[in-house]
Amino acid sequence: MEAVIKKWQQKLRKAKEEMEKWEALQVRWVSRFSNASSIIQRLQVIQNHGSFGALRCVKGIEDAVLQKEMDQLKTLLLSMRNILEEFRGCVLTFEKLHRDGSQTLKMELSKKRAEERIGVKPCIADCLEGLSLLYDMHQSEYHLKTSIFSALSCLILKPSPGDLNALQYLVVDQPNIPNNEVQHIFDVIFAEEIK
Amino acid sequence: MSISQFPPSASPSPASSSRLLASSSPSPSPASSSSSMRLWRPAAQRNLRNQWSKLSTCRQQWVAACSGGRAHATSLVNSYLSQKYIPMMEFGVLCDMFDIKKKALKKLFMQQSSYRIKLLSSYKEMVAVVVEMVNASRSLRCYMKTSSGSLIQFSGSNEDSNDAGDCGGIHVFNFWNVSAFEAMAEELVDMFKREIMLKRLLIMELASLSCEEVPQPVKLSWSAELYNGEFDDLSNCSLYSIEVAEPILPRLKEDNLVISFVSQTNQPTAEILQMYLTTWLAEVNIDTHRMDEILAMVGEEIRVTF
Repeated sequence: MEAVIKKWQQKLRKAKEEMEKWEALQVRWVSRFSNASSIIQRLQVIQNHGSFGALRCVKGIEDAVLQKEMDQLKTLLLSMRNILEEFRGCVLTFEKLHRDGSQTLKMELSKKRAEERIGVKPCIADCLEGLSLLYDMHQSEYHLKTSIFSALSCLILKPSPGDLNALQYLVVDQPNIPNNEVQHIFDVIFAEEIK
Repeated sequence: MSISQFPPSASPSPASSSRLLASSSPSPSPASSSSSMRLWRPAAQRNLRNQWSKLSTCRQQWVAACSGGRAHATSLVNSYLSQKYIPMMEFGVLCDMFDIKKKALKKLFMQQSSYRIKLLSSYKEMVAVVVEMVNASRSLRCYMKTSSGSLIQFSGSNEDSNDAGDCGGIHVFNFWNVSAFEAMAEELVDMFKREIMLKRLLIMELASLSCEEVPQPVKLSWSAELYNGEFDDLSNCSLYSIEVAEPILPRLKEDNLVISFVSQTNQPTAEILQMYLTTWLAEVNIDTHRMDEILAMVGEEIRVTF
């Protein structure tokens, strides 16, 4: 039985690794988002000829700056799209871990055994529950990120600083992945390792 | 590849323009005999590798100096704007403190001055980078040393007016002759030369910022030297016009007409200042894609990865 639990813990360790990958993507995602958001906020100032001051003596500067900023924005959006794709890859891994888990459970074990507990070690039901929660959280967060991305693209045409700030909070917060809940899941699964 | 396979005359590179063809020396230079060609090529290759590595390093130094300058410029703008807003600010309980606003203003003014000094030193750094790039781009030729007895030696300076330093326009590595390398270097360096003048305009504006409440720093004009020896550096890069005794005016393209004066705005608004910072960041004259392309093409030709 202990060996079986160990196998399940292994699955959650894999999930933990995937979360670290997600975290690294999140750092890149936040930075791309804030850069894109700053450019969008600047676009209006750039399009106002009065705001060029002494630069107006340089012929063509307005178009050149606008062009450069738009190029930069395009690069950022492209990079965000790629990161989004990588987020999806993480979600797929979580899904697979969860699906494999529930299949193993169905094939091998009775319900009673799944709830069997040895000391502080988690029972199999705990492990499966953990995998299911992690999958749900990351899937919802991925959907939120996709919506934020399309909202951002819409704001390029009609920038509103308030909306951009609200989006920024959501981007940084990741409301679907509450830290304490995640921590709790891992605390239960790896209870014997807590010192 | 064996020496005997080299064609006798200059083979135009795929990227060659009419200018390249015109500049390859029409009369055979003394260096074009096959033995000296064999000796010239390694020396020229070494030189090209060195100079292009220098150009590539300069590009990184430029990025560093630029981002330093941007940080100083942002801080400078922030302390200037704070000074402007302080008279309108509510100080609450702090009102009772003696001369609190005056002290705050003084402090911010000092801050602004220190950022101004830092900004100017970033500019100096950037000019130094451009000077080095210009020098490297002018040192791509490899001349024969005449005074060295039986041993043929090469140098970067020309001693014989018949020696164009390109060994009669033969290719140095695979396809390109010296002129082709020069054209690439010139295109690259020109971007930085134009950008430094645009940055100069921004620095002039930012360094002259002053509030009415505090004593004015010296107003800078386009013809004023921003640091000791600036005009020597700029002349080195042919960015200084002796006829009008001031630096050439900023422009975006070589053939662009410019208005013949640089006007100063006395009290730029926050919006204008934001625009200045955006322009600093945007580096409109530096076409990053083209720059990467040039470095990649040259790198492939001289078998060096930058």
